Amino acid sequence: MAAIELDGLEVRLGGRPVLNGLRGALNGRAIGLLGPNGAGKSTLINTLLGFHTPLRGTARVFGLDIRQRSMEIRGLVGYMPETEAFIAGMSGIKFVRYMAELSGLPPEQAMERAHEAFFYVGLGEVRYRKLGTYSLGMKQLAKLAQAIVHGPKLLVLDEPTNGLDPLARQRMIQLIRDIRDAGDIRLLLSSHLLRDVDETCDEVLILKDGCVAAICNLEEERRSNRKFIEMETAGAAAAFTDAVRALGCECASFSNGRLKIVMPDKVEIRDLYTIAAAQGVQIRRMNHRRDSLEDIFLGAMNGNGAGAAHGRL
Amino acid sequence: MAVYKRNYRAYAGPATPMSWRWLAITRFGLGEVFASRNTVVLFVLCLVPPLLSAFLIYVVNSDTVRALLNLRGAPPLSINNRFFLGLLEVQGWLALFLTAWVGPSLISPDLTNNALPLYLSRPVSRARYLAGKLLTLALLLSAVTWAPLLLLVGVQAATAPGRWLAPNLFLVPGIFLGACIWIAVLSLLALAVSAWVRWRIVAIGLTLAVVFIPAGFGGVVSAVLRTKWGLLLNIPYVITRVWIQLLRVTISNTRINGELVNALDFPAAAAWTVLVAICALSMLLLNKRIQARQVVRG
Amino acid sequence: MNDRIIFEDISKFYGDVLGVNHVTLSLPPGITSLVGPNGSGKTTLMNLMTGLIQPTRGHINVLGMTPADPAALFRVVGYCTQFDSFPRGVTGFEFIYEGLLLHGLGHTQAGQLTSEALHRVGLLEAAHRQVAGYSKGMRQKIRLAQALAHHPTVLVLDEPLNGLDPMARAEAMALFETLGRQGLHLVISSHILEEVDRISDRVVLMTNGYVVAEGNIHAVRQEVREQPMQILVRCSQPSLLASRVFALNHAVEAKLHADGKGLLVRTRNLDQFYELLNRSAAEGLVEIEAVAPADDDVNSIYQYLIGSEGGQS
Repeated sequence: MAAIELDGLEVRLGGRPVLNGLRGALNGRAIGLLGPNGAGKSTLINTLLGFHTPLRGTARVFGLDIRQRSMEIRGLVGYMPETEAFIAGMSGIKFVRYMAELSGLPPEQAMERAHEAFFYVGLGEVRYRKLGTYSLGMKQLAKLAQAIVHGPKLLVLDEPTNGLDPLARQRMIQLIRDIRDAGDIRLLLSSHLLRDVDETCDEVLILKDGCVAAICNLEEERRSNRKFIEMETAGAAAAFTDAVRALGCECASFSNGRLKIVMPDKVEIRDLYTIAAAQGVQIRRMNHRRDSLEDIFLGAMNGNGAGAAHGRL
Repeated sequence: MAVYKRNYRAYAGPATPMSWRWLAITRFGLGEVFASRNTVVLFVLCLVPPLLSAFLIYVVNSDTVRALLNLRGAPPLSINNRFFLGLLEVQGWLALFLTAWVGPSLISPDLTNNALPLYLSRPVSRARYLAGKLLTLALLLSAVTWAPLLLLVGVQAATAPGRWLAPNLFLVPGIFLGACIWIAVLSLLALAVSAWVRWRIVAIGLTLAVVFIPAGFGGVVSAVLRTKWGLLLNIPYVITRVWIQLLRVTISNTRINGELVNALDFPAAAAWTVLVAICALSMLLLNKRIQARQVVRG
Repeated sequence: MNDRIIFEDISKFYGDVLGVNHVTLSLPPGITSLVGPNGSGKTTLMNLMTGLIQPTRGHINVLGMTPADPAALFRVVGYCTQFDSFPRGVTGFEFIYEGLLLHGLGHTQAGQLTSEALHRVGLLEAAHRQVAGYSKGMRQKIRLAQALAHHPTVLVLDEPLNGLDPMARAEAMALFETLGRQGLHLVISSHILEEVDRISDRVVLMTNGYVVAEGNIHAVRQEVREQPMQILVRCSQPSLLASRVFALNHAVEAKLHADGKGLLVRTRNLDQFYELLNRSAAEGLVEIEAVAPADDDVNSIYQYLIGSEGGQS
């Protein structure tokens, strides 16, 4: 069953149309939500959660219609909002317990799960302190704890790494991946950082001006990028690029010895190394193209389809 | 031997029925209210008048005690509807102060740090959220208004000579309904203030001001225009008028600007209307403020 | 020395609380990235640089000017803070315009510069709407516009990409690169290390109020001598490659990846290792899938010097 189905969803806010007839089905385990500012990402999330009523059309979460069965949907969903969200006077444990009971857990189980959740996200030491005393990183983790404490089927994360320093961000991403892999839970992650989405999601929904610009399956894209190579060299001159082109590859060179190469089917990486050895060029970094998400995103913004990922340097 | 890995695990246990989940709001609300020692003290103080009244009723009705105290003749105090009206008024004032003290901390912490989306992203609708908060205040105020009073009715019925209860049975629904009206007005007002005002001191002051200031203003209007309709703005007067009707008190005189006025001249329907209007206004204010997302126009 | 930002043994305390301690820096023109966890003193440093606060001890000299001469200093410095606050009820246009008037510019000139700045960040259409109604990304852009409007020669940017969608980020980064090449001093603080890595010439790492490292990123890496260079090689027969590596005596460690398709090598002599690798690949000994220096970027330096292990040293 598709996690989220959009069926001509139209939403108006403050007199302005924000979502214009969204259509599509999202099946991935972790769905990324991308789009420029004002494209309607937050509005889409808010509508799925039942905060806004659609003007026309509808959407379904796990088959439940958002117009009619909003309460049930909210029972299955865990939400981590982008902005700060806490009750300053409560201790961390009390707050998460409270939220768990509101989500339908009996009091004893709520207490157990609250402690578990805190230890799981790494806030075990500070769980008895009042939320008002937490640092920004801790508040973000507390938000994650309250979103997962009741074991939702769909976890909605809105900019989860917002304001986190690099180490905290890595921990958050690792947590998200662990949760995703634990099974029986789907993720919807909205972010401006392509890297976050790339590291966690296997399907992407890209919005532009309130419409669906693209729905892409990232796993497939990654698998099909075999023949796109990026490399960094030391000592490469025009001769190297010429020799590579002579093999039949397309080759573009950038500053700092960086090259991007598209290999036709008959050429192997070993051939590139042979040329390098012959010319005395050191290949210092080499990998298959990883910025497919960036390509997909730019393609979607420029109005091309998902096929723009191929044949472009 | 086994090595236990702590991973995320889904929840597979029982779930509480969806219609009762919002009661958690009430439970936690009451927990927070009684966490403060000052509140507990205030609450206990509110129960002192009923306690004293119980003692008084006992003394009035007990021949032995009266003999002991050498009081002859008819009992000086008649425990009738006017007695209960007076007690209801006292408890009504105490309820006002208790509400002003407790009310501000109910909704404002949820709004200050934007916790409301976390509530509303759960199977808790706005209406149920509000119901949970209202119930917190209602339970608290019930314990200082109709609950002790009805107990006192019971005490009186038990200790009074003769059959006192039968002709006075109307007191039971009268007290209950009267107290409920006052609880509703106070609760909605306090929640509306709590939703709009962030600082506790200001909220407490505002709750009291909403009751007192229009009363003063109404007095001025009455004096200047020489009319009794200024009393519409006097909330304590209005609720007393309603109680007079519910407890079927026949004659009641109030002093307005030094002149004795027969309260029954003032129509009860007008009083009810004012109370309903206050409740409606509070609901409107709450509806505006309790939103998951604020949409800024322009 | 008039083209540098100089901090001479600066310390700043807020009562008992430490802002920065014993900071000595000399920043040339170009892009300097300021990196560190939350609370490490980055914002304090930026406030000191722009003359908003005075140091408890030490001297600051910005291009020959000091905060003792505020009119001159503020005229050449543009500051884009990380805090999202605006005067109430102000529109985008007014926000920038009134700021320019404060610099002593005439009405017409201020109007021109405002429109120019708005055009640069792409907010011309939304300029006459209230800032309170802007999305997060738009508010970020208006702050950026305000910092650029008076054509400063020193730009101090505190997390300028926060809340911007991927395209806006790319545009902003391109803008910063252009300004850097024009000879401006840019000091950019950000948590997204890959992005700043790409455009900055030098990096300043801070933690707990101290500067732990500064300079060109590769030079910094070389100096962290306790840690030999790490290279990650994904190939078909890692054990074979490992045996070759051990034949040379500069390798410190070779670790086989759990999935049997990768090798992590730590070596003190990069050049020799690359020679070996390229030769092995050209000979067809192993099939190389990817080669990547595992720690020649800001992320790894961050881990070493600021991360949990490095924090103790």
